[in-house]
Amino acid sequence: MARAPRRSRRLAKGAPRRAPKAAAKRAGTVDSAYRPKTPAKTYTSKPVPIDFAGPGHRFVRADLEIRGIYHGGPSYEGRIFLNNPRADENTPRQPEYGYAGSFHIFGHGGCLGDPGHCEVNEHNREPFDFRPPHPLTPATKRVTVTNALRQLAVKDKETTITIVPVVAATNELCDEKDVFHFEDMRFLTYN
Amino acid sequence: MANGIRNRLGVHNLSDAQVTALRGAYAQMMAISDNRGYAFLAGLHGAPSWYCWHHQQNARSAQRMELFLPWHRAYLYNFEMAARSQVPDVTLAWWDWTLRPPRQDGIPAIFARAPSGQTNPLASFHIANVPRVKPHDTTRAPGPTSDLPTASDVDDVLTRTDYSDFASALEDIHDGVHGWVSGDMGVVATAAYDPIFWSHHAMIDRIWWLWQVKNGNGNITQDLLDVVLAPFNFRVRDVLNVNDLGYDYAAAQTVVQINPAGGA
Repeated sequence: MARAPRRSRRLAKGAPRRAPKAAAKRAGTVDSAYRPKTPAKTYTSKPVPIDFAGPGHRFVRADLEIRGIYHGGPSYEGRIFLNNPRADENTPRQPEYGYAGSFHIFGHGGCLGDPGHCEVNEHNREPFDFRPPHPLTPATKRVTVTNALRQLAVKDKETTITIVPVVAATNELCDEKDVFHFEDMRFLTYN
Repeated sequence: MANGIRNRLGVHNLSDAQVTALRGAYAQMMAISDNRGYAFLAGLHGAPSWYCWHHQQNARSAQRMELFLPWHRAYLYNFEMAARSQVPDVTLAWWDWTLRPPRQDGIPAIFARAPSGQTNPLASFHIANVPRVKPHDTTRAPGPTSDLPTASDVDDVLTRTDYSDFASALEDIHDGVHGWVSGDMGVVATAAYDPIFWSHHAMIDRIWWLWQVKNGNGNITQDLLDVVLAPFNFRVRDVLNVNDLGYDYAAAQTVVQINPAGGA
């Protein structure tokens, strides 16, 4: 990033660091992944202040950063809606519906190993463990939401953040309903 | 190209002979069960070997391990060399998913299932002998063509001048295309078994090269340069220049004939 962040805010906490139990509890074999027919559970934050983006506050770019995203399960698109907690898979991806952008997760497709294979324990590694990080070390995604946030902050002092996961590929080992797990998210603005 | 540099072409620009060569190379690799074969190489990515780099951070430091682009460049290089061991002069071809009808409608025709009684090694691969994966022919369940990334999306990525910013944005586009194809391509575990995987990643590799032509290596973190791209015998610094790996993505080339007599 060329510019230093002007301000960041931790907005919400998500799932714990460990992988969701649903992803690890199933065992067996998989066939081809498939596109599910039923929607996954959406996430909506509590209202968070956005006064930092209001009139009189200059910024050239605003990102929503989502950290600690679990990616051991299905692949999905995470559609971001501001101030639209009722958003779902069928909500138009248009600014007037609060749509701010999306990110994609290329999921592992469940655990194909033996018990413990997909448990991430990076923070407890011994000092001389030079092996690569665990492949399921949680992901971070940044989505630029400048226009959506700027327009919203003109009239509102706070917003909810809704993430609508649209699952693209899953299999028998994955929980295709409960896919979006994260640690926290924050807005970052740059001027 | 000159100096032995091979040019990777877009799928939409392949001649019939080039498609035949590509199919021949894949078919021969698919028939090999040892470490020169298709199953072995595909298995390095997800199940059963899990060498690929996606999404990752190093939890012990603030340094993000952004190895997605260099690791896959090394991977494609090894796959292409294995293909050329079967069919000399064959090169990987990139799938430009930004093209729209009538030029291309979603998955290019060369990857389509062949009519009954015929086979197309670019359409599917039979996965077998992978622990916890039932033996099956790879499948796809593509979404609507309108959901594929657009040329505008790629242009936006190419305007980013910070390596981390660029690499993250390009990886996100990449993630979306895997999901768009769905089926085996849709999850890390089995993605590389689908023959279209290599052309999707050649497109990603090409976009990185286009960015490098404009930005050089940008501000790629020095700490990353000596990271080994296991299981390949490359470090990150070894794969930064595609010409050093013997290939290019030039859109056009004009050979200038030199008059050996030195005429005007």
